Amino acid sequence: MSELRLLAGRDLAAGPESLADHVRRLGSLPSSGHELIDTVERSGLLGRGGASFPVGNKWRSVAAKSRGSAVVIVNGAEGEPQSRKDRLLMSTRPHLVLDGAILASRAVSAKQVVIYIGEEHEPARVAMARALSERPEAEARLARVVSAPNRYVAGTSSAAVHLVSDGIATPTTTPPHPHERGVAGAPTLVQNVESLAHVALIARHGDAWYRTAGRRGAAGTLLITMAGAVSGPGVLEVEAGTTVAEAVAMAGGATEPTEAVLVGGYFGAWVDAAQAWELTLDAAALRARGLSLGCGVIGVLPKSSCGVCATARVMRFLAAESSAQCGPCFFGLRALADACDRVAERGTNRDDITRLQRWATEVRGRGACHHPDGAVMFLQSALKTFSTSFAAHPAHWRRQPA
Amino acid sequence: MTDTVLWYTTRGAGAVSLVLLSAVVVLGVLSSLRFQSESWPRFLTTGLHRNVALMTVVFLALHIITAVVDPFTHLGWLPAVIPFSSYYRTLWLGLGTVALDLLLAIVVTSLLREYIGPIAWRAIHWLAYGSWPIAVIHGFGTGTDAWSAWLLALTAACVVAVAIAVGYRIRTGSPDPLGSARIAFRSAANRREDR
Repeated sequence: MSELRLLAGRDLAAGPESLADHVRRLGSLPSSGHELIDTVERSGLLGRGGASFPVGNKWRSVAAKSRGSAVVIVNGAEGEPQSRKDRLLMSTRPHLVLDGAILASRAVSAKQVVIYIGEEHEPARVAMARALSERPEAEARLARVVSAPNRYVAGTSSAAVHLVSDGIATPTTTPPHPHERGVAGAPTLVQNVESLAHVALIARHGDAWYRTAGRRGAAGTLLITMAGAVSGPGVLEVEAGTTVAEAVAMAGGATEPTEAVLVGGYFGAWVDAAQAWELTLDAAALRARGLSLGCGVIGVLPKSSCGVCATARVMRFLAAESSAQCGPCFFGLRALADACDRVAERGTNRDDITRLQRWATEVRGRGACHHPDGAVMFLQSALKTFSTSFAAHPAHWRRQPA
Repeated sequence: MTDTVLWYTTRGAGAVSLVLLSAVVVLGVLSSLRFQSESWPRFLTTGLHRNVALMTVVFLALHIITAVVDPFTHLGWLPAVIPFSSYYRTLWLGLGTVALDLLLAIVVTSLLREYIGPIAWRAIHWLAYGSWPIAVIHGFGTGTDAWSAWLLALTAACVVAVAIAVGYRIRTGSPDPLGSARIAFRSAANRREDR
């Protein structure tokens, strides 16, 4: 990585950058309005919360319905267990996020900005609250900080809207999507903190500048979280289009021979190590291969770990995170987690393997939100990647994380 | 001759409505219990509940229209919807009107459920437990055939059937298997005091 963008500036260990330092480094907030949407659209920036939805597109839909009533939710819930990038960004470069939020509120004519931060991310919340108090009064009055309950689904955009509207962070049925009818019925832009930080730079340097970073046809930079068996786990800023092998090398390399790589976090997929290294971290390219960049978690599973046991642990977590609103999700994920546990604990049996394959297809698409869909896609990738282990798993049940 | 036909129709349609309405209540209770077996899937309960309810409305309409147009009683249309406005058997007929009005509220909110949402719909649907007994009392109080053995037996059968279903419903409580899990999740996902 030749050039850092979001994480440029002074040492990250030095804590949150003050408004004065931020302005000295990057210049003051550009005075753009609605026309910024065109720039963002041309940049090709994709959302970094997990769905990789085009940012400009979403802003345009909200702006079209806003008439000054829209709400911007700055999504810093970061409930993905292995992800660290959003809390790092908020606790070190809070003004970059706030710049993006204010620019978004102007572009879509919003009347309020809600900064939604995971309650367990204490340093991030403190940094964002302090940064907000440093801003001009007009901006500080526009925005407020709200805690996101520490639940996996609380980061879903409909759950964020539901919490701000009704005080409960459970996902709701879509449509209507938040951009149509969100907080108190107003069109609502729910945007991940990293996406907004990118906008803060695009507004200053332009869309052409944004695309000067990026390799193998991809544009811009990405924050990714390296997890598992690498020498230096943590957050990296890489150019879009970087390969998994290059990212692992940037993280100091794998500590052991690698069995598989988890691409995209718990809503992502396991990929066999042999195929994983050449994958490019580029939402479009991954999607073309049936994968997803998700929130940018790259988890390296060493050969000394067990893919079946690791999968069983994640399935148990996802089952427990169902908000118990839809039967197929609540009961389906629990049954899948139970079957994974049995295979992990007592060894392979043909019935459970058949059940896992059948139930995975039956649960899909049957929840109000995409929680069950993400969980079964993860499971299906495990059944494929660890097919030999699933076919002949010994009764060992390794509880410790990979 | 014509008025005798009307009179017979009123009585017949009333008796049929009683049976159908009782069946609707029993089916409603069964669907809230999520009753099912190998040969009786749950959609059968809800499907029957809806369709028998629709049929009840038809027979009730017949019951009411023939009563109103019957020249012997001179009821007029007002007592059909406004309770206790009839000079003729004010109390007993008025109870029938009350039962009808409650039922209309249930029917209308069920047709508009998409728009009013499940919570309001469910709240109104509880009125069924008021409508049904009032309708039974109405039949018992004003029915020409109330004391005939066959209608007594029919009424008794309906009351027993509903009593068994409701008794079972009260004993088992809310059968929502997601209920406790949902409450637990919601308490973990509700708004925190913003510090």
